[in-house]
Amino acid sequence: MIRLFAAILCVVMSPAVPAAPTHRIFVTNEGSDDLSVINGKTLEVEKTFTVGKRPRGIGLAPDASELYVAASEENVILVIDPSTLKELRRFEAGSDPETFAVHPNGTIYISNEDAAMASVFDPKTGRKVAEIPVGLEPEGVAISPDGKKVIVTSESTNMLHVIGVPEHTIIANILVGARPRSAVFTRDGNVAYATSEISGEVKKVDMNQHKVVAITKIADEKAKPKDVLLSRDEKTLYVAGGRADAVIVLDAQTMQVKANIPVGKRVWGLALSRDGSRLFSTDGASNSVSAIDTATHKVIKTIPVGEMPWGIVIDD
Amino acid sequence: MKQIAALIAFCAALGASFTPRAGGPDPVVVTLAYVGSAQASALFGIRQGLEEANLQGQFLGQRYVLEVIEPGAAPAADFSSYAAIVAALEKENLRMLAKFARGRAVFNLISEDDALRAACIPGLLHVIPSSTMKRNAEAQWRKVHPDANVVAMAWHGDFVKFAGRDLNKRFQKAFNTPMDERAWAGWAAVKIVSDSIARGGAADPGVLLEFLSSRLSFDGQKGVDMNFRPTGQLRQTLLITEGGRLLGEAPVRGVAAPDDLDSLDTAACSG
Repeated sequence: MIRLFAAILCVVMSPAVPAAPTHRIFVTNEGSDDLSVINGKTLEVEKTFTVGKRPRGIGLAPDASELYVAASEENVILVIDPSTLKELRRFEAGSDPETFAVHPNGTIYISNEDAAMASVFDPKTGRKVAEIPVGLEPEGVAISPDGKKVIVTSESTNMLHVIGVPEHTIIANILVGARPRSAVFTRDGNVAYATSEISGEVKKVDMNQHKVVAITKIADEKAKPKDVLLSRDEKTLYVAGGRADAVIVLDAQTMQVKANIPVGKRVWGLALSRDGSRLFSTDGASNSVSAIDTATHKVIKTIPVGEMPWGIVIDD
Repeated sequence: MKQIAALIAFCAALGASFTPRAGGPDPVVVTLAYVGSAQASALFGIRQGLEEANLQGQFLGQRYVLEVIEPGAAPAADFSSYAAIVAALEKENLRMLAKFARGRAVFNLISEDDALRAACIPGLLHVIPSSTMKRNAEAQWRKVHPDANVVAMAWHGDFVKFAGRDLNKRFQKAFNTPMDERAWAGWAAVKIVSDSIARGGAADPGVLLEFLSSRLSFDGQKGVDMNFRPTGQLRQTLLITEGGRLLGEAPVRGVAAPDDLDSLDTAACSG
């Protein structure tokens, strides 16, 4: 009877209809402890509000009904309604939850930076579903579109840890260049691209063999690659260049640099619009977000936000 | 009913599970020797480095162990079983140790002596910055802030940039004391060894030494890619302090580019 009740509860709690997109862009500002809400059409900040200490990781539920924000120094994840901007609830998310990714099944995979741990939470209940020991300073989290593999990068152990889902065991550890920070899968899950900040590299990884198959070292010595994204047609890679103060554009096939888009200072976060026409970067040391036209590789607007913008997500 | 059963299964799959760390065949044991005082702060750093090397080693089938050799026992010691040696010794003892341990890397963690760099002793690698590097870093700061009375250091317990915060937190938690520059040097030496063995694929001292001098790309949590100069000195960012307070980093912006580490050190082998 209890199990039946639990099952019914599950049914009740599963959102049935995807929420209508708010067309907002959400930005965490780790320096001013707040969230900037940008109107995706006018590209103007419509609201800024305090969320908690050192907000960094940010993500949307698969149906975009909820926005998740990691207040990393408070060890919590806040659940916010993207439409009303009201905090719905919050849950303890382990020690120093820095970055996370939302699985297609709705669970959240978090890197707990100072605990050498990846943890999995159900944001509906706030319950920890699993924890997986990984290397030191786990950072980037990427989930394959079919949900069967999760990559967690460990910055101080220099590895991509490949975690199998639902077993939650490590199925491969791929040694990469110094300080791996971020990764992204192709839609078919056969390939992942990953950045290494200190070695200044972008790597292409065969996710069937779990082997690095191509490495591009960014020529600009100042480049400290952080976020990496694929264009919607998967032909182009966008890499946040960190201290190079630019978004670096690579051909995903040849791994050659195609363009350099100057943005603000210390660019780390990237987000791409659903139609792929607009790319946004968080320029941490300039306290701004750059809106880029992906057809022309030009910044069309620089949007002032809070202090040290870090994470960015688009609800479109 | 079928749907409810499926949902029960889904809910059950969400149940907590704990996955142990990856196991595997017996690990390769890599033994390092430490020569120096058992009270040296460098030794705390070495122990922190070992902890981190073993965290990585569990994924690669490597286990790192340390043997402590009192400085007085070094002349009689047999170094042949060690992959590398980490040393908190002053210059003359360090010179002698490099002779005894010929053919394997000896990491200098405390001596800032310039002549030791210029001597270019084979296998001797200086993780701690030289006196000249520190003076150059201080002079760069003075060019921008001529009235400042600053001291350059390899590390500071308040450093937070480039994940310095994380390393300082780990060290403080483990040893209940802030990480000083000698502790950083000890930590860095072990991480340099474990990184190089992970990438070079061998714990053979000769192979390791070759990797260290030609292929090192080390993240010392100071935001730059570090490697050794021909003198054996580690290229690195220095931290600028005044009255014990952390002010900034060198190369100093406006004087040199942040990655122009050779702006701090132009020493060459004296031949």
